[in-house]
Amino acid sequence: MTARAAPAPLPPATTVGLQGWLRQNLFGSWGNSVVTVVVAVVLAWFLVNLGSWVLVEADWTVIISRAPLYIVGLYPYEGYWRLCVCLLLISVLLGMSWRAWPGPARRFAFAFGAVMLFVGVFPHEMAPEHRALLLLNLPFIGLGYVLTPRPAEAHSGRLEAMAGGALPPALERVAIFSTPRRMVIAAFVALVLIMILILGIAGVPGLDPVNPQDLGGLMINLLLAFFGIVCSLPIGIGLALGRRSSLPILKVACVIFIEVIRGVPLITLLFMSRHILPLTFPEELNIDRVYLAGITITIFSSAYMAENVRGGMAAVQTGQTEAAQALGLRGWQTTLLITLPQGLRNIIPAIVGQFISLFKDTSLVYFIGMLDLVEMGRVSVQGNQEFIDNGREVYLFIALVFWVFCFSMSFISRRIEGALGVGRR
Amino acid sequence: MTRLPYVQGVPIWRNVVALRWAVQIVSAVVVLSTIALFLLNVAREIEARDIPFGFTFLQRAAQIPIGEAVIPYDPSDSYLYGLIVAGLNTVRASVLGVILATAIGILVGVARLSPNWLLSRIALVYIEVFRNIPLIVQLLFWLTIVLTLPKVVEGYVIGDAIFINNSGLYLPWFEAQAGFWPWALITAIGVALAVYAFRWLSRRETETGQQSYPLLAALVIALGLSLVALLIFGPLAIDIPQIEGRFGRLQGGAQLSGSFMALLVGLVIYTSAFIAEIVRAGIQSVGKGQTEAARSVGLSGMLTLRHVTFPQALRVIIPPLISQFLNLTKNSSLAAAIGYPDLVSVANTMTQIAPAISLFMIVMVSYLSMSLLYSLIGNLYNRMIRFKAV
Repeated sequence: MTARAAPAPLPPATTVGLQGWLRQNLFGSWGNSVVTVVVAVVLAWFLVNLGSWVLVEADWTVIISRAPLYIVGLYPYEGYWRLCVCLLLISVLLGMSWRAWPGPARRFAFAFGAVMLFVGVFPHEMAPEHRALLLLNLPFIGLGYVLTPRPAEAHSGRLEAMAGGALPPALERVAIFSTPRRMVIAAFVALVLIMILILGIAGVPGLDPVNPQDLGGLMINLLLAFFGIVCSLPIGIGLALGRRSSLPILKVACVIFIEVIRGVPLITLLFMSRHILPLTFPEELNIDRVYLAGITITIFSSAYMAENVRGGMAAVQTGQTEAAQALGLRGWQTTLLITLPQGLRNIIPAIVGQFISLFKDTSLVYFIGMLDLVEMGRVSVQGNQEFIDNGREVYLFIALVFWVFCFSMSFISRRIEGALGVGRR
Repeated sequence: MTRLPYVQGVPIWRNVVALRWAVQIVSAVVVLSTIALFLLNVAREIEARDIPFGFTFLQRAAQIPIGEAVIPYDPSDSYLYGLIVAGLNTVRASVLGVILATAIGILVGVARLSPNWLLSRIALVYIEVFRNIPLIVQLLFWLTIVLTLPKVVEGYVIGDAIFINNSGLYLPWFEAQAGFWPWALITAIGVALAVYAFRWLSRRETETGQQSYPLLAALVIALGLSLVALLIFGPLAIDIPQIEGRFGRLQGGAQLSGSFMALLVGLVIYTSAFIAEIVRAGIQSVGKGQTEAARSVGLSGMLTLRHVTFPQALRVIIPPLISQFLNLTKNSSLAAAIGYPDLVSVANTMTQIAPAISLFMIVMVSYLSMSLLYSLIGNLYNRMIRFKAV
């Protein structure tokens, strides 16, 4: 550009600044102004009423005095420190993801740290050692961050530079542990540790086994949703491959399974797990209802996961398959090495979406008699003469907890969508 | 399936045809043996624990109370009849829910696109709040609200005809008189004529470009015929609910129980948040160029909306909308949590004396047929809107 453009004339005063913004967005026309005023009045009335109720009229003792019940259910008090340690492990993982993936994970780590800080210093009844363990989460996030190499550094490029040329075979093996791989390994180890910490092991002092029936509150909602998603992913991939296959028997079996599960409400499946699933196990194997709920939710989720995977794989362009065939890959090689990985990348946002709806659906496990967050709230209200009139406080609190989780996850999912460029490639 | 040629000299374990058959047989064996194992286990346990099984119980008297029913029900009626009553309760909640959720969803979706910043933000908050809270929490909340309403005698009364109190909502409703059927017949004829007129005038408008007001004509024909017949036959009387007795029992009119109200409000608000997003996405999917092109060939604002924007948006909106309808129907099963006697709730009560497995099968088949019905409608629509080669 050599010729300098003449400076643009200034915009008319009414389209810029606060005045212009108001004019454009709120008072553009007569109709618009009327709408604005009416909506503003209604909104102000609503907010004033809500605010005065929340701050003055509502009695929050039903929440504060029973807070642990909502969060961890009937989990024994002696084991609370184990749950705090689980949180520390999660903090380390969050710190690692922050380093590996600075955009979305940083917000998540911040939010997690903020919640821990808030609960740790909030003036309510809480043992000092638990407080200390909660506050320890902040340095542990930092620890995870420091322990992780920046993604670029972990790649073999830096090692190659250090070795001054091609890598010797021994170092090649080290380079495999790039940041994503470390993250997967760390997540796996943390998961096993968390399960051990929560359920305990017989015979180990300090790790007394916990009756699975005592798991409850928000913890069980999160655990069921998480394991439902993790366990349903492989099953869902299998079902999706079965549905895509050209072998009629396999295909029909998968289609029937997927469509039947998707056609009925989750509550009918819980009906099944309450009345029928126990019959499929021998009577002496008295299986706990937590596992029944887990199995049911996995079955339910895998049908939806299968449809997600199928959609993701269908979105992979046919050119990819054709190129693979042209290179001489077999059918199964094409699927496993070309279509499936690209299909799975396509569905990461969909998996987050499914996690959100599964998390909301775990509130139905009351049907088989589990004390999850919602049921705990219902029991606090309907089972206590003292709190019989505090239903609104309890349900608003529960709604807020679920909302914070679901909204932040969908927010992050949108970020991931942007980062992966789904729909743009 | 194309049959691959058999190549001489290829060993059996590398022969594609043989491999495919082997995989088929293995998968069939796995599937069938899983099912067989499941059934055998269940059968053995049924025998060992002496659990009743079969469908003969359906004829016996159910002996359980059902709180509210669309058709008259008495505990001495059979199980089958009780299940039908419960199924109709599910249908009632779903149909009303679908209609109201669509209406509110469209309103919120359009408000989301409003040029008014405040309105659009409020619509956004509505959507993000209600779709991120589990339905069951919302239902329990609304039930709490309904239960804290005042008692019947102290309840809210609107115009001496509408009663709102902790036992529900009572509305004036119609009562059929002698002339109901002739009136219904004439109204049906009127609707048929109106549909015909709408199609004929629409086609004329499309073909000749002459403005013919098809919607207006159709409305005039249908409503006009119905109104004239209404005046001649007097088929409907209005039944206004009234408080009877000292303790206040409301009689007459249409009664919507408290738990039904809570269910309906919860279902409608929850689903409308999803529908609003669908409507917004649908309207936004129509390119701006479409509107501009329509305006530049001389179509007015209304005609652009009716002939250009709306048909194209509907194409995007309808399929996910139908899946939301199905979701609403499935979600109505949460009625069990707030004491509305829907199919799942009644079947669950029946398991105390009747075989659970048979009841489970009946419930599964009922919901599956409902979802089949919805996908049938969806497929019909998809066939209808397919681009036709001209």
